[in-house]
Amino acid sequence: MALQVITGNRLADGVSVWFAGAEGWAEHVEQACAYAAPEIEAALAQAMPPDAELQVVEIRAVEVVRENGTLMPVAHREQIRARGPSVRADLPAGVWRDPAAPLPPLPTAHSSSPFAGIYRYDEYDRDFLRQRAREFGAMVERRRKGELSEEEFKPLRLMNGVYLQLHAYMLRIAIPYGVLSATQLRQLAYVARHYDRGYGHFTTRQNIQFNWLRLEDVPAALAALAEANIHGIQTSGNCIRNTTTDEFAGAAADEIVDPRLYAEIIRQWSTDHPEFTYLPRKFKIAIVGAGHDRAAVRVHDIGIEAYRNAEGAPVFRIFAGGGLGRTPYVAVKLREDLPVPELLRYCEAILRVYNALGRRDNIYKARIKILIREMKPEAFIKLVEDEYAALPADYCLLTDELVQAVAARFPAPDLPRQDGGVLKAAMLDDRALARWVKQNTHPHKAPGYVSAVISLKPVGGIAGDASADEMDIVADLADKYSLGEIRVSHVQNLVLPHVAKDDVPALFKDLVAAGLAEDNIGLVTDIIACPGMDYCALATARSIPVAQRIAERLAPRQHEIGTLHVNISGCINACGHHHVGHIGLLGVDKNGEEVYQITLGGAADEKAAIGKIIGPAVPTAHVPDAIAALMDAYLAVRAPGERFIDTYRRLGAAPFKDAIYATH
Amino acid sequence: MPLIDRKAAEIADPQGLTLYPAADLPASLSGPSGVILSPDADLALLAPHLPALAVVTITFPKFRDGRGFTIARSLRQHYGYAGDIRATGHFLPEQFGFLIACGFTSFETPATHGPAQFAAALAAPHQPGQLLRRTLGRALEPV
Repeated sequence: MALQVITGNRLADGVSVWFAGAEGWAEHVEQACAYAAPEIEAALAQAMPPDAELQVVEIRAVEVVRENGTLMPVAHREQIRARGPSVRADLPAGVWRDPAAPLPPLPTAHSSSPFAGIYRYDEYDRDFLRQRAREFGAMVERRRKGELSEEEFKPLRLMNGVYLQLHAYMLRIAIPYGVLSATQLRQLAYVARHYDRGYGHFTTRQNIQFNWLRLEDVPAALAALAEANIHGIQTSGNCIRNTTTDEFAGAAADEIVDPRLYAEIIRQWSTDHPEFTYLPRKFKIAIVGAGHDRAAVRVHDIGIEAYRNAEGAPVFRIFAGGGLGRTPYVAVKLREDLPVPELLRYCEAILRVYNALGRRDNIYKARIKILIREMKPEAFIKLVEDEYAALPADYCLLTDELVQAVAARFPAPDLPRQDGGVLKAAMLDDRALARWVKQNTHPHKAPGYVSAVISLKPVGGIAGDASADEMDIVADLADKYSLGEIRVSHVQNLVLPHVAKDDVPALFKDLVAAGLAEDNIGLVTDIIACPGMDYCALATARSIPVAQRIAERLAPRQHEIGTLHVNISGCINACGHHHVGHIGLLGVDKNGEEVYQITLGGAADEKAAIGKIIGPAVPTAHVPDAIAALMDAYLAVRAPGERFIDTYRRLGAAPFKDAIYATH
Repeated sequence: MPLIDRKAAEIADPQGLTLYPAADLPASLSGPSGVILSPDADLALLAPHLPALAVVTITFPKFRDGRGFTIARSLRQHYGYAGDIRATGHFLPEQFGFLIACGFTSFETPATHGPAQFAAALAAPHQPGQLLRRTLGRALEPV
């Protein structure tokens, strides 16, 4: 006979709670009352008096079994809610923080970091962020008192980066276009250490997420971050999200136009945009200014390529309607050669058409990509052009004066160091250094420098996770070697953008000492993975353990295999960008079992392509075998120096498909 | 429901105002008149009537439905409408500033959010929302 318990998450701290009848809500499933089917309606009514929402949200019944005298939910997701993330046995679910514990001073109180090429905030900007933290505090208070319903509060908290996940509230902090100062990273470490359980997770959108926030602590955490000029504004919700770009922007040798300037302008324009903050669905903009697309602009709602026209002036190529998720599309091109003054006007026209006509009847069809396909790209482009032509001539014009005003707040870093030959000499004697340099550094526009990537993908670790201590170490290394500047890449790694070549051996030594010298950038163990069902309320499968097993299995061969992008998403929403992985893995629930669909041939760069599903989904336990077999097949047929993706493009899926399905 | 202005002060309708659903708008209007628009309204059809309308009321079925913001901006920017633009339906005090910035001038407050909540939203020290507005100056203001 099926038993059920009633569960929900506590409003104040997001902790999963279980209904214990007359004793109210308990923090452990064992304390819950279990009900047989005929009793459950009455019990739900008892658990949900009219003011229940002031204490507990998302109240529902879930099936349980009695196991060795204790209750355990049947569904994997509910088991994880009851126990905590399966990948962090050290962090059980439940209450973990004493909100009354005193906190040390903020790192910003004593930081002397140079903050290099970071956009300079002034007091006006900081006041704006402080005010936003206070406003969010007022919303929490209104919610607590019942002046805002949960239905009304949810979109408002989302727009401040606050989600309710399986174990607690998740706070997503924007790292605008992936640029951080050492001071800011220390402030993030502070929040990780004192408001979270000692770590954070860097995401594929160049943001950071904290997994264990109490709702009541969020205003204080936001206030702390405001002192370092960082915030959670518009990191979720149906609004214009953080603008992303190339992690090597402003440093890369192949850069044509520095995209950070325009990304910052777009950030300022889109923050609290009165017209476009309640869109049909979320809206993501990415911009790139190099010969190579490192920002995946063709899979964004608006993608922008900055380049130079015949006269040498920066101009933009505008794409729209790309995206991943349930219905992946590569974007369509709207415009070539858009001059700088018109950038925001053209974006306004696109957004206005989308806001008026995007579907609001079905959340899965509400993205701009669907609107464009449903009305045909030609018709959509005509509407945008008509709207653009009808804008008042001076409306939202990006004047040269304005561009210069923003540009003046991006001081160009002083890069005086020449290549003294130290690195070259050291590499002759040190194979580990040589391999790390080959894999983890990127050419810099100043010949005496490189950009160095710090991998957050230790084999067997959790992709994109960094502990508070690691954040502090990276901040110190940034001060020591990279003018106090750090970047976050959309592949979930960190970058020190400006490292003098002569300093690289010393940097490498420090990274080895800190356990941060994994030399796997762009290789098969440099896996993109979303948090999956260990944390996320939307996920249908655990992506982290699958990534860990694949990395462990293939690490010994990763240098032989060479460049290969493996992307894993724990549900159809595709936060792990599986569609554009050379190998993509999508976790789905098949009758209570987690299985993985494999796609091949995806790419996020200027040859953007959506991967193709090669066959039936593979059980989780077989995924590492399947990928290993795929690698065997690839190594057997590849031409010398040929990347997996190029072999796939040459030969198609057949040889790989045979290899995968021969394994089980 | 109480009607308020941009200062959250309660106001009354113009004497003798008649509000028509868009489909029932007579070809010629006598006396102070207004129209009630749904969020999918076609403004091109309404354009010939605009000079004669004292009020255009825009309905928010749910506060998450942001089409009304674009309708108001389009009325001000494309059609040069200078009369009263009124919000009705479900919207929140948290959206007050955005509504004003898009050109709304009167607000039929929802049952669950009375004038006092809107006044409180206004009383909070409020920075100008859109960051770029400072540098863009008046260019981003509704025309």
